[in-house]
Amino acid sequence: MDGRGDTDPARLSNFGPITITTPGDRQIVVARLFDAPRALVFEAWTKAEHVARWWDPSGVPLAVCEIDLRPGGAFRWVNRSPDGGEGHAFCGTYREISPPARLVFGSSPEQFATLVFTEEGNRTKLTMTIECASRQERDAMLQMRVDAGTAQTLENLAAYLPTIA
Amino acid sequence: MAMDRRADHLSLVFAALADSTRREILSRLASGDADVSELMKPFDLRQPTISKHLSVLERAGLVVRKRDAQRRPRTLVAVPLRDVDDWIAPFRRFWEQKFASLDKYLNEMQNEEKTHGRKRRYRSGTTE
Repeated sequence: MDGRGDTDPARLSNFGPITITTPGDRQIVVARLFDAPRALVFEAWTKAEHVARWWDPSGVPLAVCEIDLRPGGAFRWVNRSPDGGEGHAFCGTYREISPPARLVFGSSPEQFATLVFTEEGNRTKLTMTIECASRQERDAMLQMRVDAGTAQTLENLAAYLPTIA
Repeated sequence: MAMDRRADHLSLVFAALADSTRREILSRLASGDADVSELMKPFDLRQPTISKHLSVLERAGLVVRKRDAQRRPRTLVAVPLRDVDDWIAPFRRFWEQKFASLDKYLNEMQNEEKTHGRKRRYRSGTTE
């Protein structure tokens, strides 16, 4: 090991499956391509029966998955804790629902995510823009700590370079 | 104190990366050194503009000027990008896991469609 792999500039042009950019002080943009039709990806994000099956990467279905899909409607996604009870909850309100192209939801008026689904051939690109109340909040989110139990090491920690337009 | 300095430096890097032209300049430099006039071509920008972007990138430690007499080519320094990457690694891992899980589930959904031979159309507003 010469340790060169990670600092080799040429490698920076190879994006991993996810690209993360910070186009503004209060924004984080996460983009990823999915090998599925756009309406299906949209459905996977907006129907409780689907969200319950994938939101927890451990494969355990959610303990609670409620979705009231209308502007102003609430959602509540609760992971199952190791002891079988309710674990971490992710909740908020829908702001905008435009199937299959756009979905906006937030946990507060200042903190919200805009999901844009675009067709790329037979695949779907999901671009998620997370808007935070402040730069501090944005930075805190970037440094978020994932539960030790779920933080399995991924082999490929792709080098960071923002998306090139 | 060391943490503060690191955070300050990260702020410079983030600010430098916040501009799409500067990201493109970095991308160009990732494929090889280039001087100002070589950088001007693909971006259709005037020299002072490019120089301004370069000085922001230099301040963030992302680009250095090589001592090559007249040409003064710029070269990419990848280390600060790694710092940024290390810093956002937990966030990246979080979404990589979520999205890998979604990917797997989308595959299952599509396989189910096939095995059950249902001709369901995934179109907006189509609910059965």
